[in-house]
Amino acid sequence: MNLIDTYIYEVTRRLPEKSRKDIAMELKSTIEDMLPENYTEEDVMEQLEKLGNPAVLAASYRDTPNYVIGPKVYDAYIHTIKLIIPWAILITALVHVVESIILFTGEQSILNVIIESSATIIGSIIMTLIQVFFWVTMVFIVIERVGLSNTDLPLTKNGVSWSPEDLKSIIIIPRKKIISKGEIIFGFIWIGIWGLVYFNADHLVGIYHSINDGGLQFVMPIFNQHVLLTYWPIIVAFIILEIGLLLYKFKAGQWTYPLAWTNTIIHSASIIAFFVIIKNPNLFNPDVIPYFANIIETNAISVENTMNWIWRGLIITLVITLVMEIYDSFRKARI
Amino acid sequence: MSSLLDSYTTELRRGTLALAVLSQLRTPQYGYSLVQVLEKAGVTIDQSTLYPLLRRLEKQELVTSSWDTTESRPRKYYVLSDYGLEVFEQLKNEWKKMTLELKSLLEGDVNIESD
Repeated sequence: MNLIDTYIYEVTRRLPEKSRKDIAMELKSTIEDMLPENYTEEDVMEQLEKLGNPAVLAASYRDTPNYVIGPKVYDAYIHTIKLIIPWAILITALVHVVESIILFTGEQSILNVIIESSATIIGSIIMTLIQVFFWVTMVFIVIERVGLSNTDLPLTKNGVSWSPEDLKSIIIIPRKKIISKGEIIFGFIWIGIWGLVYFNADHLVGIYHSINDGGLQFVMPIFNQHVLLTYWPIIVAFIILEIGLLLYKFKAGQWTYPLAWTNTIIHSASIIAFFVIIKNPNLFNPDVIPYFANIIETNAISVENTMNWIWRGLIITLVITLVMEIYDSFRKARI
Repeated sequence: MSSLLDSYTTELRRGTLALAVLSQLRTPQYGYSLVQVLEKAGVTIDQSTLYPLLRRLEKQELVTSSWDTTESRPRKYYVLSDYGLEVFEQLKNEWKKMTLELKSLLEGDVNIESD
């Protein structure tokens, strides 16, 4: 007797309030129908066994789905997650990189700062990903429950039912031509770092002297910040151009001839601008050369020669890298 | 192998379940009497499937229900509605058509003609 009521309770507590009473009554009379007269507990057990797990029975009474995100919206859900996650990572990383560069005072060693910031960045990215995952999932659960789509067909990523017309907007990109999202995100981070270093060169790029407690002491900047900053309109222009180029790459998703040409022009121009800036004799802090000469016990002229060689080597490397990149972009565009 | 067979058999049965139940509801039946009628006809149906199915049919207005409290224990009787009868007749015809089609397929005497 008690077993029957307990079983019914176990079923109905999982059901909506308004249908509980009716289902309970029906189940009770049905179970009693199944039992012989003067039944024993064993008989009850046997019949309840037939009805099976109360949770399963309750689930088949319920009309609402047993899943959180069903096949109808699953595709759109995965697409949204994939779309948001790279940007979430990018923005989080960028915010932290900017923060640690701005807060950098030179009191701690660069290595320490890099290690510490990396830890913070990884932590924040994980937190952001959890947040993104949670909120996107919440939104899609609501869509699933409320049934924002009026059709029974699965939602496509555009939020409407599929039709053969959709095929027209699909561009098949050969694997070798693809510009990956990672590449673009890396590009953004790269621009961000260079921009920040440029505008903060007076307390970032310099000669450091190691001090007793393992930290580094900032001795002097390598560049004349006011000379460096006279070029700011050029730098800002190039930052904007590079960002535009990245957005163009993101939009195109693959290498094309117009993109390869734009890429060539912008990158060549930026390397020329770099040469022009480097060529300015007033760019370098005049105190640097005597300082070095003093340390390595040689005269200023040979230090200057060495520095010149370093710059030439740097310029040649840059040009070679650029040529290789341009060649590669055209090769990919041709495929 | 046999579990695969079981799952296909269950799937086949599930499709016929609503039709089997509707066919027996031209006269009022309560849950357990329906089980007995079906079992007598050789149709075994999981009771945990049947009762929810009855409620679903009611919600879709194919059957109507009423509580009979005159007997020793209250029983909920289900019977086909007019709409349910109509749907049942159509479904029955579909079934007949389908079995004919399948029969010719299974016996392999289909005349293969190019359209």
